[in-house]
Formats: sequence, structure tokens, C-alpha cells
Amino acid sequence: MRNFVVRRLMLLIPIFLGVSILIFLLMHFIPGDPARLLAGEGATPQDILNIRQKFGLDQPLITQYFLFMKGVFTGELISLRTEAGVMEEILPRFWNTIQLSLLSILISATLGIGLGIVAAVKRNSWVDNLVMGFSLFGVSMPVFWLGILLILLFAVVFDWLPAGGKGGFEHIILPAITLGMATSAIIARMTRASMLQVLSQDFIRTADAFGIRRNKIIYKYALKNAMIPVVTIVGIQFGYMLGGAVLTESVFGWPGLGRLIVDSIFSRDYTVVQVGIMVIAMTFVFVNLGVDITYAFLDPRIRRR
Amino acid sequence: MKKFLVVAFFVSLFAVFGFAENYGGDFVYAMGADAVTLLPANMSDNPSEAVCRHIFDGLVEFAEDMEIVPALAKSWEISEDGTVYTFHLQQGVKFHDGAAFNAQAVKTYFDWIVASNVKRTSLYEPYIKQINVVDENTVEFVLHFSFGGFTSTLAHGAGLIVSPAMIAKYGDDVGELGKHPSGTGPFALEVWKRAEVIQVRANEDYWKGRPYLDSIEFRVIPEDITRVIQVQSGDADLTMRVPPIMKRRLEGDKNLTLRNDPSLRVIYLGFNMRKAPLDNVLVRQAFNYAIDKEKLCSVIMRGLATPSDSPLSPNTWGYAPTGGYPYDPAKARELLKQAGYDELDIVLSTPRGRYLQDYETIIAVQAMLADSNINADVQPMEWGEYINFLFTEPENSNYEVFLLGWAPSTGDADWVLRPLFSSDNLPPSGDNNTFYNNPKVDELIQAGMRESDPEARHAIYAEAQQIIVEDAGWAFLYNLNQLVVFNNKVQGVEVLPIEIVLVKNAWFEN
Repeated sequence: MRNFVVRRLMLLIPIFLGVSILIFLLMHFIPGDPARLLAGEGATPQDILNIRQKFGLDQPLITQYFLFMKGVFTGELISLRTEAGVMEEILPRFWNTIQLSLLSILISATLGIGLGIVAAVKRNSWVDNLVMGFSLFGVSMPVFWLGILLILLFAVVFDWLPAGGKGGFEHIILPAITLGMATSAIIARMTRASMLQVLSQDFIRTADAFGIRRNKIIYKYALKNAMIPVVTIVGIQFGYMLGGAVLTESVFGWPGLGRLIVDSIFSRDYTVVQVGIMVIAMTFVFVNLGVDITYAFLDPRIRRR
Repeated sequence: MKKFLVVAFFVSLFAVFGFAENYGGDFVYAMGADAVTLLPANMSDNPSEAVCRHIFDGLVEFAEDMEIVPALAKSWEISEDGTVYTFHLQQGVKFHDGAAFNAQAVKTYFDWIVASNVKRTSLYEPYIKQINVVDENTVEFVLHFSFGGFTSTLAHGAGLIVSPAMIAKYGDDVGELGKHPSGTGPFALEVWKRAEVIQVRANEDYWKGRPYLDSIEFRVIPEDITRVIQVQSGDADLTMRVPPIMKRRLEGDKNLTLRNDPSLRVIYLGFNMRKAPLDNVLVRQAFNYAIDKEKLCSVIMRGLATPSDSPLSPNTWGYAPTGGYPYDPAKARELLKQAGYDELDIVLSTPRGRYLQDYETIIAVQAMLADSNINADVQPMEWGEYINFLFTEPENSNYEVFLLGWAPSTGDADWVLRPLFSSDNLPPSGDNNTFYNNPKVDELIQAGMRESDPEARHAIYAEAQQIIVEDAGWAFLYNLNQLVVFNNKVQGVEVLPIEIVLVKNAWFEN
């Protein structure tokens, strides 16, 4: 187990380098001159030259890459747009994204797994149809539309929750529900399919034959076995959320990492985009590692390997 | 006594109906983006300027009609030859950090801008030769040459004065200086959470007297519709950049005040005059006659724009009406014929979402041009890419006709004509990407810059505008308005044509 974790962590190094080169090249190959965008309307030729010089944008590409990597390791990188430290820009946003993602995944996993089990157990009944209907609805609804509907309902009509922005706990509720909606639908579908498969296996029939209580069979034997694909989906979805739920963040004015990166792409703030994407890539690796470790707990066969 | 009673009667009447100014209240100001920096000399975005104009004061400032009015300077004189500006300063003013505001503070700030490499260095560096402290409350700017637009550059956002104590502390770290704003303004920074909120509180010792509001929260909500809903639901008190489609709905809401005010922004079609047939003035005039500007304003812009007849908007200092081009497709076809074309194929480039209804405008223009035998192929682009495409070495310029907007942040004609129409200000670094070249206009631009008599200067700019319009330097489209919505309990909101909304003098009615 320890070897496994160490091996996975070692993988971080090539991933880190690969991502850094890829995103660096991508950013520099998309058309658009950061100096002109930064200088704004009415800047003089001299302003633009000054900005280019200040951030080393006049250097050859390879030099720029090494300067960038040096900045990553010394922690001296600054945002081209705000001239504040890059991590200073990214960390608070990343923390906001983590909060939103955690609450969202909590809502969607609870709702999704719960509904999935009910649907599987009451297969082909009206409950099943209802749950699957809901999940079809959840998957198909565009996030920005659902978000604005929820705002209209809960902020304007009922006036129970704020319409957006960041503040106390009440500010996170609507964005978390909006973000979690589609995911809970996906999780419900996955749980149902996986449960149905497990419930049709021999050991369940055997357990039934032994006269073990139905609830115990479902929650103790079947559920644990059905969880592996569900955990995978939850992990992947969580990774995506951490990578930035740009639409949700924009609709609710939630200052997360996804939006920072999108805004930075538009203003060609190379350093923030590059470091931001690297942070997301690293996070994905860690989330995947977490998922793999969870497998080992769920399935002793994996643990022994 | 009788007079006193009459006055007293009206005062109490005002008080009863809630017209009187009220102290207190926390104001929520919803913006589409966070400020980039709170260092006035280093900002080039609107949100930064909106916030800075509540924290700092300049020597002079813009009124709502763009008149330049005294602020930290009580009065000023300009020398006969136009090269020395002497400002008499307000006395007993302090910065938020306790430093005294005086002639030395003014000198420190502008000397620092000129010597530094910040975004607005070029706004002052070419003009200011030296700054002299005459006495504690008098400061003198000596210019390299007479520059008629100098007070406008001082009213520009970059002219908001930063405390000398902060410059001493952070002067060599622009990033840090931008995070520690200290001005003499009516509000002082309390908290700045990036991308979230900027909170400022009332400056109790403000030199004009304490502001009415206790605090202002500048809240960042990027989504236009959400921002407007926040004002509708009472979560926020004011917002701007209201989408035109929401206009009618908001007009029906009796809890809201909707203001539709002119801005200085002109939206136009530029021509690449290095390319045939756009180098032909007849063809360019044909474009102007082919476009129904009235219809663009009423249908596409829903009354949020007015037809333009000059590179300057009517609120920009120096504007003179030229008559422009009426809508006349028959004339357009005739001009094309004269130029030797039965029909014309061109590429029409546009950003999408950069300006209000930009893409919608281009689609309408495409249909109008078709009526005059001009077949336009529309090419929308992302802003960053678009700017790169439009501002490139002249020999690589592949664009033909493009949509762009311009708003002079100094509010002065010089800041439109000199960058956009001087024949030597060519891309990639310069802004004259239409390659407009008229020696007479070059001469007028230089003369206007150096003229310090306002009347003579105005006449020079009037002539330049007339020539540019006759040359059809652009296809003139419209002057943009700005739509601002706020809680109707709020009074004293100021909407500046430079696309800045101020609530520093605002109050809540009872």
C-alpha cells in the first residue's frame, strides 16, 4: 500500500513538468498580446513597450519558460494583470472553490446515492420512474439557467437567500445546489445501475436463501460491492468541480478558481493561467489517488495486490 | 422674519417629503469585475477607477457634464504662453494615513509617476518638465510646451493623488502600492477581498465634510443578469452595464430608478486604408450612406445610443457637429459606381460581447450594406485575438472593415484625434490602424494640442472633425449611452460620461 502511494506520488513529477510545458505553449500560441490588453485603451506605444519589457515578454520563448519555472520554484511569480503574487491571487480563490466543491459533492453524493439505491430496490415501480425522471432533468438542465431560476425563486420571490456574492453560509447554498444538481443525477444513475447488477448476483440470492434481512443484504452486502464505480464517478466529478465550475461561479458571483482562470485567459495573464492550471492538474492527481485508496478499503482484493 | 418663515416652511416641507440629505446607511454597489489595482497611476480598467474615485481626490475633477471643476485645487492660473500651470490648494487636508496634503505631496506624486514605469506614466511624462513647490499651498507645473488639454489629464483617474507616505513606503513595488490606497477622499479602504468585495468606510475628517453614507461595499458579480436581480431583490443598491433587453422590465419596477445617460464612447467601423478599394474615399463615403444609424440606435440599441456624426461624442470637449452622413442607399450605390464598382465583397470583423450589442450591430449593418450592393462577410473574434489582429505591423494588416469603440478617458478631443488620426501613430504600438493620413489634419492635431485658449482650440478641433468626416475616415455609427439602475431610495448618484458611476455624494432617503 505504501509503495503504491509513493509510486503514485512520484508520478507527480513528470505530470507537473508535462502540464507546465503544455499550458505554457498553449498560452503563448493563442493569438493576443498581453501587453496591449494590459495597457488598455488609449495606451501609448511606449506604455506597451514598457509592459513587454517589465514582464520579459520580449524575450525568446525558451527563456520565458525558464524564467517562469524559476518563478514557480522561488515563489516570486507575479500576475501580469494585478502585479500581486500569483499564489496570493490563486490560493483564496482555490479555497473558495474547495468550499463550494465540498458542499456540492456532499449534497450530490448523499442525494445521488440515496436516490440510486431507492430506484434500484424499487426497480420499475413509480418511485424508480420518478427518480430516473428527476435525474434526466438534472443532467439536462444547463447550470446557468437553473442558477438564475433558483435566484429568481429564492432571492426575488421568497427572499430567503441572497442572490449571489460571497458572505456567510447562506451565500453558498444556492451555488452548491446548482452545481450539485447535475452531479447528483449522474451519481443516482450510476448507483442504480451498479446496484441492479450486484443485486442480480449469486451471493445476494444465497444471502436471501439464508434468510438474512433484506435491509441488511442491501445496505451491507450489495451497497459495498456496488460502490466501486460510484466512488470513481464521485471522485471524477469532484475533480471537475475543483477544476472550476466556471458557469456556476459566474452566475452567483462566487469568486472561485475557475472564474479566475477564465478571466485570466481573456486578459492573457499568462502566469496566473499557467500556475492555476498546474494547481488543478495536481489536485486531480490527488483526488484520483484518494479514489484509488478508497477502492482498497472497499475491496480487499485490491488491497492485497 | 417673514423671509425666514418662508425659508423654514420650505425646509420643513423638503424634510417631510424626504428630499433632505440623510446621514447613515451602508451602500452596496454591484460591479461586473473586481478592481485590478487601487493605484490610480497604474490603472486601465473601469472598476479600479470607480473605486479609486471614492478613495482619492485629484487637483481637479469632472462634473457630470464633463466640466472640469476644482477639487484639491481651489483655483488655478495658466501663464500667458500656456506652459506654467499654478494651482492654489485646499488647506488643512489630510490623507487617510495622516500625512498632510500640500504642495510637496502633489510634487511627490507626479514626480513619482513621471520617474516610474507605470501604466499612465505616458499621460504626464511627455508634458511635465518640472514641478515647483511655490509655498505650502501653491504648486506650479512647468510644461515642455503649451498643452491645451493639461487640466483634462489632471482630471483623469491617474491624477488622483496618492499619499507621499505610501509612496515612500511602497514606491518601488507597484503591486504593493496598489493594495494600500491612501488618499484624501471621502471614503477609506477597509477590506479588499480579491474578486469578492471592496469595503470602504466614511472618512470622518473629510475636508468637504463627512459623506452621507457610512460605508460602501463594492461587490463583484460578473453575470449581468444576476447583478440586476440583486438590485431588484434589494441585495444591492446600484449597478451598471444593464443589458438592454432588461430595460423595459426594469422600467416597470417602481422601486427602481433607471438612468440612461450619454457616455463618451463612440462606436465606429474602421477601414484599412492601405487596401483597395478602401483607400478610395468614394467607397468609404458609400459605406457611410449605406448605414441607417437611426435604425441601429432605435432597434438594435433600444434607445441606448445616438447616431454619431464625428469621431468625438457630443460630450467630449471639442466636439462640433458636422452634419454627418444621412441614410441614403441610392447615393451609396451611385458612389460605388463612380468608384468603378457595381458591387463589392468585403470582410467585416467584430468583437463579440466587448461592447453592448456589438455583434447584433454588425449583423444589422451587414443587411444594410447588402441593400447598397456591398456583400459583407462577418468575422467575429474573441477580444484578445481581435486586438492582435487589428494592431499588427502595417504590412501584415489583413483586416478590411472592423468595428471598434473609443472613449477618451481625459474627456478631451486631443485624446481621440491624436492617437487615432495622426499619420505617424501607426500600429503595432500606435492606435492609427486605419492608416488615416491627411497632412492638414496632422497639422490641426498638433496645433490643437498646443493651443491653450479654449475658444481657438475648439475652432481648430471643429475644422479637424469636418475634414475627417468628409474624408470618411470611419463609417460613423453611434455614441453609446450607459444604463444604470439603482434603488429609488438613493439620491445623489452621479453618472459621469467617462463610464464611471459615483455615489460619494449619495444618500438614502428616509
